[in-house]
Amino acid sequence: MTDMLFTGSKELSVGVELELQILNSRDYDLARDAADLIGLLEKTPPPGAVKPEITESMVEVNTSIHRTYDSLVAELKVIRDAVAQAARRLDLRIAGGGSHAFHMWADRRIYPTERFKNLLELYGYLAKQFTIFGQHVHIGCPDGDAAVYLTHILSRYVPHFIALSASSPFQQGEDTSYQSSRLNTVTAFPLSGQIPFVHSWSDFLAYFEKMRSYGIVESMKDFYWDIRPKPEYGTVEIRVFDTPLTVERAALLAVYAQALARHILMDRPLPPERDVYTLYNYNRFQACRYGLEGKLVDAYTRRTVSLREDLLDTVKLLASHSAALGNGGVLARLATDAEAGRTDAAWLRQAYKERKSLNDVARLQSEEWMGKAGAPS
Amino acid sequence: VFGLLLLAGIVGGELVKRMLNLPRIVGYMLTGLLLGASGLNLLDEPLVDESWIFLEIALGLVLFELGRRLHLDWLGNDRWLLATSLLECVLSFAFVYLALTAFGVTAIYATVAAAIGVSTSPAVVLLVAQELKAEGQVTERALNLTALNSVAAFVLATMLLAWIHHDYQAGWTMVVLHPVYLLSGSVVLGYGASAAAIVFSRLLGKHAERQFVMLIALIVLTIGAARMLELSVLLALLAFGVFSRNVDRRYDLMPVDLSSVGQIFYVVLFVVGGAKLQLTDLAAGGALGMVYVAARFIGKSIGVMALTPLSGVRPGTAGLLCIALTPMSGLALAMVHQTTTLYPDFGAQLATIVISAVLILELAGPIAVQYALKRAGEGRAEEK
Repeated sequence: MTDMLFTGSKELSVGVELELQILNSRDYDLARDAADLIGLLEKTPPPGAVKPEITESMVEVNTSIHRTYDSLVAELKVIRDAVAQAARRLDLRIAGGGSHAFHMWADRRIYPTERFKNLLELYGYLAKQFTIFGQHVHIGCPDGDAAVYLTHILSRYVPHFIALSASSPFQQGEDTSYQSSRLNTVTAFPLSGQIPFVHSWSDFLAYFEKMRSYGIVESMKDFYWDIRPKPEYGTVEIRVFDTPLTVERAALLAVYAQALARHILMDRPLPPERDVYTLYNYNRFQACRYGLEGKLVDAYTRRTVSLREDLLDTVKLLASHSAALGNGGVLARLATDAEAGRTDAAWLRQAYKERKSLNDVARLQSEEWMGKAGAPS
Repeated sequence: VFGLLLLAGIVGGELVKRMLNLPRIVGYMLTGLLLGASGLNLLDEPLVDESWIFLEIALGLVLFELGRRLHLDWLGNDRWLLATSLLECVLSFAFVYLALTAFGVTAIYATVAAAIGVSTSPAVVLLVAQELKAEGQVTERALNLTALNSVAAFVLATMLLAWIHHDYQAGWTMVVLHPVYLLSGSVVLGYGASAAAIVFSRLLGKHAERQFVMLIALIVLTIGAARMLELSVLLALLAFGVFSRNVDRRYDLMPVDLSSVGQIFYVVLFVVGGAKLQLTDLAAGGALGMVYVAARFIGKSIGVMALTPLSGVRPGTAGLLCIALTPMSGLALAMVHQTTTLYPDFGAQLATIVISAVLILELAGPIAVQYALKRAGEGRAEEK
């Protein structure tokens, strides 16, 4: 039970995990060189951590703990450059984006660790289809009760996170018509979804113990929830973001969630509301399908609003919190992009329209993420 | 009869694949060996001669594909790969030369044989990799090293032509101009073909099927032009591949997969290759062939083992690369052939040295490559 002890962390600290695509430089399909890439990065480790993910075409990078946008983005750039440079030495390319545009899931191979092999055994083909790429944002919480409350209130804002990060319009060589098709893949897992409607850390522990006693889960890792408390880090982890095309965007999304969390934990603006979960899947679908053009049914006001308007109002509301966290006007960039409809999904569709080849989309995607890092001078 | 050749090749390939789990090309070659001069003698000389156009297209496709795998940017990003290639070429040349002269082979024969030994068989490495759908560091490095050592072998062999011309008291113009014409002419032809491919692909747009047909057409056209101008078909096609990968800065060419159409030509290539092999040559070349094979392997291995670890790849990669670089085959024979046509006497003497080595490595080579790529876990089929 000690693994479920909530070790409170510095309040409102922020940390980011990014799942990244490893591509070959020939046709820009997914490659299978995760082990070589991770091995090479171990020789001169960048800050944070580099880890394998479920298939050999993925790599996960983690930042350390930050408080401001500036320090977060600075570290993300260092990590990006290190990964990009190592990749080039192996003739690989790295890209952001929530999905690879044209890889075939059946070609994927599971990264050979005990845990991933067990996942393949259990979930079958879903394990290979899980070659999708997300950004996880950790927000530091003082205690378990605060984490449970924060999780419930953040759930109302999940459509914001989805629409802002959406970058998986293509799957298996086709335009899905979704802005984020990645989350449809997550939904197929039996332990995906949301936290149960409990109100304290002790109630949550009771639920967790019940699931553990049935043998359904062993640890929090087994819940593929959109937002989950992470007791050993003392954080709430938001997992609905698609990996953006650039690290700058990733940092921006992280500090948006951080400012929102500050508002929720300090102002306690809303009580947990069961209807958030009643409406949850529909609102989530709207955000995945239409992005910022989608509709949001507000469980608190019982009105249907435009997702974009709701987001812009929230950004205004958060100005003082963002400033207090030392992030000044960075959220204004988010608002400007949202107003102009500049999203990563739109960028990818535009790239396809111009180049008429998904190989080129994947190439441009990798150039966007890597920049000039590691290229011979 | 030609249809029978194809059919027998396919059946042989499948049998070997299913029963022994060896690469299909080993089956094609064994079929050729069985039907050819050393076996039932069903594939007689005229038929083998008539198939030259298939062989030429097959080798052209292989070299074009291999050229497209050579990524010059990579050599800039991983200088150790370039260094590995240089050392591997130099050492395999030096070891073969020293070994052969130690066994009493005349310097000029030893030099040419050593130059030919620098190259790894592009066809074997590429086709085994394609059959396994292999990708990964061993596969990509093996293909890039093969492309580079093929170029090196070409340049060396062509420069040595000058020496041979000289030996045969050809005029000075022949000594200097012929090799220069051969090298630069082939490269220019390859460049021209790639420039044409880029222009056409821009006109055709991003349609994989149309670009596919256009590339096949240009490959056949380039082969024809090279023959007409008496240039090296092999070097021209390799250059075509290299340029179309590395010069196309606007990415107009799509990475189309030519292996489906290639298959029919590859079957002919290896069946006929097998049919041409004479087991009696093995006896004639015998011990010297073994010396050649061993010296070449040691030279290549020292080069690869010394520098590959500096590229930062996983331990074990270097060893598997050494194994993957062993095959010799069609390319070497073609180079012998090139000299044979100019000076039959010289070519024949060289042939006894090289052909017995090729005989050994033609059968063992594909198996070695398959072993290396599977051992590296780079084949697509196996889920470990």
